[in-house]
Amino acid sequence: MIKKLAAIIFLVSATPLLAVDSPIGGVVQPKCSVWTDVSGVYGHPLPYKLSTLVADGGVLASIRYDIAQADYYKARITHPNSFSSSPALNDSVAWTGSSIVGQVSVAAMSAYEAAKVTYNNITEFNMTLAGTTWFIVSSTAQYGNTKSLPAGNYTAMIKAECIAK
Amino acid sequence: MYSKIILPIFFALFLATHSYAHEMTPTYPKLTQSYIDNVYVANMKLFNRRSDVEFYKIEVFTNDWKPLPFAAVSKVINLKYSRSKLFSVYIRAEDSEEVVYICTESKVFKALNQVTLVSSRICSKIKQNE
Repeated sequence: MIKKLAAIIFLVSATPLLAVDSPIGGVVQPKCSVWTDVSGVYGHPLPYKLSTLVADGGVLASIRYDIAQADYYKARITHPNSFSSSPALNDSVAWTGSSIVGQVSVAAMSAYEAAKVTYNNITEFNMTLAGTTWFIVSSTAQYGNTKSLPAGNYTAMIKAECIAK
Repeated sequence: MYSKIILPIFFALFLATHSYAHEMTPTYPKLTQSYIDNVYVANMKLFNRRSDVEFYKIEVFTNDWKPLPFAAVSKVINLKYSRSKLFSVYIRAEDSEEVVYICTESKVFKALNQVTLVSSRICSKIKQNE
């Protein structure tokens, strides 16, 4: 008797299941993300020189661009041509630098290197493919005519831009 | 055997550097009439994934990268790490034909070491009404 009653209570209390479609929506829109993977560090191989080159004891800056849709953006990287902060300098500083394609998520992105446009201290890359590209930026500063750099902290700015085409 | 697998993973994790990102959408914003006569507005979204940055400056340019006047609640946006913010850029009707780029540029803090800082700038392009 108790068993029958329990079965009846169980059946009555059972709630009906309703099946409905549960769509998952999403929008993919063109988007560019600029990632600072590694901020460069200057090595000081000679009294008058600061350099981010590994051979000079520095660390190269690495900037990553994620492009969600092909051919919507161009990357423009400006390597430094002045210090944003430094001790007082009373002689000129000679700047050199470069921006090159590092790792790529799509093999064809390697062609960005040959197609890049360089003017002054700016390098432009036409981001024709979707995916991730790493750019390696180097910077070297030489003070005066091989004059020793004054002691202190030196900072220079790399500008990484992603510009809609 | 484990040392061959675990040690490289451990060192890779230990040496992994942090990544910081800056994002702005839409890529092609549209100017629409604002609630003020002769003033258009573009609505943008900024996402800060740079833990080293808290402030972004809004800039508006012509096709020749000449700055144009604009209004916004604040021309420098304070945005905490991993947060996004919607913002509106108001442009005069007389400048609406000339405006091409709306950009946000990260403002980095002064560093105290021998380093290169990376300032990021993302520019969206105004989609003119066809």
